[in-house]
Parts: sequence; structure tokens; C-alpha cells
Amino acid sequence: MQLGDARSGKLSDNIVGFARALRRAGVPMDSSRIALAIDAVRLVGIERKDDLHAALKAVLVSRQQDIEVFDQLFDALFRNPELAQQLLAQMLPQVRQGQPPSRKARVQEALAAAKTPSDGPRKESEVQLDAAMTASDQQRLRHADFATLNASEFRLIERLVRDVPLPLPPVAGRRTRAGLRGQRPHWAAALQQARRFEGELLWVPKRERRPQALPLLVLVDISGSMERYARLLLAFLHNATRQSPRAVFAFGTDLTDLRPAFRHVDTDHMLEAANAQIADFAGGTRLGASLASLRERHARCLVGRRTVVLLISDGLDTGEPAALDHELPWLKRHCRQLLWLNPLLRFDGYAPLASGAQRLHQHADGMLAVHNLSRLEDLAAAMARLMKR
Amino acid sequence: MAEALDHHPGLDSIDGITHALQGVGYHAPRQLATSVFLAMRLQRPLLLEGEPGVGKTELAKALAKILGRPLLRLQCYDGMEQREALYEWNHTAQLLHMRAVQDRNTPEDIEREVYQARYLIRRPLLQALQAPAPGAVLLIDEVDRADEPFEAFLLEYLGEYQVTIPELGTIKAQAAPVTILTSNRTRDLNDAVKRRCLYQWMDYPERERELAIVQSQVPEAGPALTEQITQFVSRLRSMPFVSAFQRSPGIAESVEWAKALVALDTLMLDPEVVQDTAGILFKQREDVAALLPLIDQLLQPEAA
Repeated sequence: MQLGDARSGKLSDNIVGFARALRRAGVPMDSSRIALAIDAVRLVGIERKDDLHAALKAVLVSRQQDIEVFDQLFDALFRNPELAQQLLAQMLPQVRQGQPPSRKARVQEALAAAKTPSDGPRKESEVQLDAAMTASDQQRLRHADFATLNASEFRLIERLVRDVPLPLPPVAGRRTRAGLRGQRPHWAAALQQARRFEGELLWVPKRERRPQALPLLVLVDISGSMERYARLLLAFLHNATRQSPRAVFAFGTDLTDLRPAFRHVDTDHMLEAANAQIADFAGGTRLGASLASLRERHARCLVGRRTVVLLISDGLDTGEPAALDHELPWLKRHCRQLLWLNPLLRFDGYAPLASGAQRLHQHADGMLAVHNLSRLEDLAAAMARLMKR
Repeated sequence: MAEALDHHPGLDSIDGITHALQGVGYHAPRQLATSVFLAMRLQRPLLLEGEPGVGKTELAKALAKILGRPLLRLQCYDGMEQREALYEWNHTAQLLHMRAVQDRNTPEDIEREVYQARYLIRRPLLQALQAPAPGAVLLIDEVDRADEPFEAFLLEYLGEYQVTIPELGTIKAQAAPVTILTSNRTRDLNDAVKRRCLYQWMDYPERERELAIVQSQVPEAGPALTEQITQFVSRLRSMPFVSAFQRSPGIAESVEWAKALVALDTLMLDPEVVQDTAGILFKQREDVAALLPLIDQLLQPEAA
């Protein structure tokens, strides 16, 4: 295969092959794009490698994260087409089969490590949590973290989602609609209305601000001390927040973006995808470092101070406490409300004494209990109260 | 715009575009020039993404200059609606007209009369479509700031260069406008928008290009000072210094900084003057604070 071949038939073959290779490497690609690429190369010509490169890039790539893949593949194909072809032939089965198992194995390891029994307070938490469910659930929950939901769990989640609407109040958006209240008249509606009454203007509709769902940012602690809660909470949130724009991240020693997983409609698929993504399950918590990487890489999840942040953690932070002094105020400045959902709050007389918990307590707008799924009802009520403030 | 390019024989090649852009003070790397060339020849909108201050908006302005076309700018914001972007009926005038003629005309006549073009207020998108030949340059600025429904509304325009107004029918472009979209990536754009556009990621410029930009924008600054400024800024943006800051200064900031230094009659950079003008490079308190201990290191001459 020679990319520099001037005969156009061969050239378009090569471009199609290249585009398909890109698609196999995970770059979004459709046939109209490929057709456009052929047009583009005809216009630019193949005299200069850098022009060809720029032209194909402008047409075939539309995300920053794909640029590197493109550059590497282009280089490989241009330098040594034969080798590239072989590489591509190898890549196909690799992408389909090779990668997911290797990633899964990591997760499996992490899961295996998590299953060793640990100290006292954990035991208690199991009892507390399981009290909300039937006896048969108890065994299942102890062993199967992030497994797909069994039937009774599925029903439980469904019931909770139905009974416990998360009280995220709509805020007045920037868009308007015709209504009764508002500052400015809605002339279009007035005209429509006047037409109905032979041009008589009986009343003037106003431009009313349309209600808009608050965006939600959920940060779920998946460290060892939190593993009991993480899975069902994720399942619950996955179902309960379908309507609002949401971004979900898991954090342990590092931050994992769960948004791809949450795009699945089915909760089981979501859990499977989360399994594949999370590599630091049931390890330590480095809240400060995780928040720092949220700030550096995903700051755009926080939409114009409207976002409600749910931080689900027990506050047992093994990282640098000083980092929290910097990151928490930043997070607080950029969100509408920072709610700390704390499973340790079940103990009477719990006081946030651990250094991480202390700082969370100091900066969060509210601290809510989530240790028990039956308490989710209280959570809803408490959240409603807090949001009204 | 193959036909439009015919009016500009200088612009029918990538080199031609690079030179023309340079002529109006925009130093485009060849990659960018290629994208611009393709956008015009293939009649596709061009989506520019990149950090703030790397010259996305400036490119649209420069293009309008070299093509000799009017620049229509649609600044996007949250909650933008069709009536701000495309068209709006002048309802007050319609109402008045309706009252004036209602005794003499049948309802059908009235209806026909109030939906005339003269009651239509044209907003940038419609203006761009109706611009007489050779057409216009339409800049849809910071499209990531508008909400997702607005993106969906843009699709018809981006794909076909036409919009549909229920009362008037479909309005198609007389000459396809050169369309530039910019985004700061405060959120990801929908794939449907992206696949209708050519895409160009704009990075901070390499040093020679930045030098040329600062020189042409601020000719009053001496060559030594310009050299120092670009070296300082490009070091700021590279490892290990870049990790100390939340946001690196863009080209716009270097140009501003050069202007400020000229205004302060600076001939050479020294720690004191950098400290005094740090607020031009960085707009965050934390970043300014992080800069102060690094100034000496940054000002050291480059190790060979």
C-alpha cells in the first residue's frame, strides 16, 4: 500500500483504510466523513506530508483526545505502510478481546483484596445497612460488591426510586415561556391570543422564566471503609437522577470518571461498566488529591455555580489533610451547594474528629446520613430543607 | 465557496491563505491554514477549540478582513433562544398594524399583512444567510456557553446553510457564509454538531510564531524585550513550571503584557517589573502567588 499513489482509486482506498483504522482505534467515524476526507485530500494534494496530515486531521478528528491516536496512526501508516497494515490486523482482535479482560483483571484483583474481613466498625456497618433489607440479602451483599443486582435488590432500588424522589428543585432558567408572571410581555403569545378574540387584547401574557433542572455532580468514595454503600448508592443514583444532567465520579486513591458507565440505561450494565473502569476499589482515600484532579481535569462539570455537589464519603481521609484546605474551598466556590452524605452519621454522638471529616464538616453546606437505605427518605427530606435555604 | 474564492485569486492555495492572513497580522500555522482552506473549499463550518486566548475569535476577524466580507458575530450565552440568534417578529408593530386595519380587512388579509418581511427582525444567523454575494463571515462565538437545545437548533444551519421559519418557509443561503464556531470546552459539544464541522484544535503557539505575533501587534517593543517576553511566557507554559498554575497565559495575555511593558517604558525584564505586572499574565490570585517564587528561575538565561 502506497499512500503517495497518484491514481485516485488507490488513494481513496488508502484513505478509507486509514479512516477505518481510526474507527477501530475508537475515533468516531462515519462514511460521510470519509467521503469528505477524500474530497479534502484531492483539494490539498499529496505533495506535502504536513498538508495531507492537517487536511485529514481537520476532517477526521473532532475531539482533542483523539488527536494523539490520529498522529500516531498517521505516522505509522505514512512511514511504513506494510508494517502499519500488520499492526492494524493485529489491533482488531486486540481491541475487541484483548483489552477489556486485562482491565477487568485489575478490578478483579481489587475486588478480591476487598473481600478480606476487616475491623470492628465495618462489621457494625454491615448490620446497620442490612437491617434495611431481608435476611437473604445479607449474605449476598457481603460477598458481591458491584455485582449485578439480584431480583430483590432490583425491586428495592425500583421502589426507592419511586418513593424517594431526590428533591432537586428546578431553578428559573435563562429561557422564557409565556406565562402569568414575569417582567416583560410575551408579544408572540399576546398576538396569538389576540387573534383568537378578533384582535382584541384581553390580557398580556408575560415572559416567564422556564424552570430548569439543576446539574448534579456526584463524588462517590469507593475506599475500603465505604465499599458497603458504594454499589447500591450508585444503583440508586443511577435511577433517581435520570432526569437531571449529572456527572458522577468515583474516588479512592484517584478519581475515576463514571460518566461513560452512567450513560448505560440499564443499571446492571452501568455496574459492569463501573467495574471495568474503577481500578482502585476498596483501597485508601485520598480526597485532597482526587479533588485536585477533579479541578484540573474536569472543572467543566461544574456549571456556572448551579451545580449541586453530593460528596458521599465517611471522611476517613488517608491523604494530605492540607490539600483539603485548598481544594474544598475551591469546590465550594464553584458549586451551588456542597452536600456531604456521611454513612458514619448513624452513631449517636458522632462528631467529625478525623482531620478529613473535620474539614468536610467545616466546608460542606450540610451533612446528611446515608448509612441505611431506609434513611434515604430522610435524606430526601433533609436535602429538600437544605436546598430551600 | 469555490465561487467566492474566484474573487480572491490569492486565496486558492494554502500558502496564499497563510500569506493573506499574515498580511492582516494573523500568523497562522500551516495546519490551521489548511483547515481554513478546506473549510472554504468544501463549504463546511470550522470548529475551533482551544484554551482561552489562543486566537480563535481573532481568526474569524482576520478572515473577514482578507475576504472583504462583513463579519457577523453571534456571541452565545446560556439560555440563548431562536429569537436572539435567528429572527424575531416585531410584535409591537404587528399589533399596531392589526389594530389599524382590522375594520377594513378580512382576517386573512390581516394575517398575510402582518407576516411580511418588514416585520421580521433579523438576527445574525438570518443576516448571514441573506447577505448578498459574496456572502458574510459568521462567527458563532463560544458555542459551548449556549445550552444543548441551542446546538440542536444550529444543526440545520450548519448542515445545509438554511433555516426554516414557519411563517415564511425555508430560507437558503444565497452565498454560503464562511462559518467559524469557537469553543472553550467548558463542556463537550454534541457529536451531531461536530460531524457537520471541520475541527481544529488550537494550541499555544511555538515560540517563533508568538514572537512574530507580539512583534506585529506591539511593534513599539524592542526586539530584545519581545524576545524576552516570548521566552518567559513559553517557559511558563512548559514543564516544570506549568504544573504550578491553574491556567497558562494565552497569546492575548502576552500581547497585553508587551503593551503594558511598553507603557511602563521597560527595556528589559527584571523581577520587580514582572512582579508588578503579574496581574496581566494571570487572572487568579493563586496563580499570581505561585508565580512570585518562580520569577528568578524563569528569568535566568536559557541553559545551552
